[in-house]
Amino acid sequence: MVNRLVMFVSLLVAQVLILNHVHFLGVGTPLLYVYFAITFRRNFPKWLVLVSCFLLGLSIDIFSNTPGLAASVMTIAGLAQCYLMNLIAPRDSTADLAASIKALGFSKFATLSALITALYCVLFFALEAFNFFDILMWLARSFVSTVLTMVLILAIESVRSR
Amino acid sequence: MRNLLDFLYKYHHWLVFILLEVVSVVLLFQYNSYQGSVWFSSASAVAGRVYELESKMTSYLSMAKENEELTMRNLYQERQLDQLRRLYAEATKDTTAAELKELEFLSQYKLIPAKVVENSIHKLENLITIDKGRKDGVEPDMGVACGNGIVGVVYLVSDHYSVVISALNAASSRISCAIRGRGYFGYLHWYGGDPSVAYVEDVPRHAKFKLGEWMVTSGFSSIFPSGVQVGKIEQAYNSSDGLSYKLKVRLSTDFGNVHDVVVISDKSIAERAALMQAARDSISFKQRQ
Repeated sequence: MVNRLVMFVSLLVAQVLILNHVHFLGVGTPLLYVYFAITFRRNFPKWLVLVSCFLLGLSIDIFSNTPGLAASVMTIAGLAQCYLMNLIAPRDSTADLAASIKALGFSKFATLSALITALYCVLFFALEAFNFFDILMWLARSFVSTVLTMVLILAIESVRSR
Repeated sequence: MRNLLDFLYKYHHWLVFILLEVVSVVLLFQYNSYQGSVWFSSASAVAGRVYELESKMTSYLSMAKENEELTMRNLYQERQLDQLRRLYAEATKDTTAAELKELEFLSQYKLIPAKVVENSIHKLENLITIDKGRKDGVEPDMGVACGNGIVGVVYLVSDHYSVVISALNAASSRISCAIRGRGYFGYLHWYGGDPSVAYVEDVPRHAKFKLGEWMVTSGFSSIFPSGVQVGKIEQAYNSSDGLSYKLKVRLSTDFGNVHDVVVISDKSIAERAALMQAARDSISFKQRQ
């Protein structure tokens, strides 16, 4: 639990002070905080997953002047994680299987995080561009951001799993 | 009943999910209206404080360049002022009257210096947070400028911080500006992309101007006084309906590097707004009759 709290705060600070200022090629911004939604263990109470994802999203929103945007998409990402975790986990695994490279293996963890990150980025930029819908720009931003975020997640996760 | 309770127990996370989504969607759409809540913006006390600390740490790095720019501009304007004074004196043979008029004009505006604590230029809807709020006399709809030109218009105000709609806001920024010395006016509009280029629309077809001339604020919008620098005309196009010109303007403000700004508070705004309101009321009254 303390772990989760530390992660909440550090992801929030990193996103707000550093990553929000990154605009790779003018299109991609790494949305690293989605890592918070990916790493819940399997039998973590679902309502708590949703509420904490929502709160992290809302905090990010307050700092970046986009109220409701990250909050709504983070909640969806939290819900998706609960179900994807069940799909991806091996049958004979324990009920409190952790979502990490150590417990799942590299390829399964990478699949899980790629699915959630892609879902997150696609929805996030679709909602953000609500008024000016430019499909090419939307796809470019989603794609580049997904790739950037995945690189960061896999780098952090492989350091942590050592 | 029991089945229902079982069902609710089993799927309670879906209820939580729906509730949270409703809350965020309400926030998402409510904020788009003008009365958005300050609490969920970077003008809130906590977020403002964090950004203020960050900006204090980073502002030293860019200070040298900004100082240099300001000195250059100061020098240029000193010379310009000097020349104008001389011309005026030659024309009217009267120097004291000119100085009095100048002071009178300047005292109409109150300038509130502020520091930028958060700024973005890469989104479509860019907002800027500054470290002055209601307690310092800042109100929504006041103009914000820096040494090099316009910055934006105050949007949300909390006690100690304010959120400013940057001129680089494709959705909501329309600043009325005119060609210096010629008076033809239009609206400044930014379409995203390059943060140093914006467009002035609705300039009449019969307007005469040269490329390289300056655009300044027109003073019609009662947000900015007239004559605040906007940028240089780089190219002129026909608008899509062919009825007006669209001017490509190279903005004089470097939005990637704004740190010190002033909020312009015009005492005559309230008076002008009241007059406009009275005019509108009398028009609608006549229409009803």
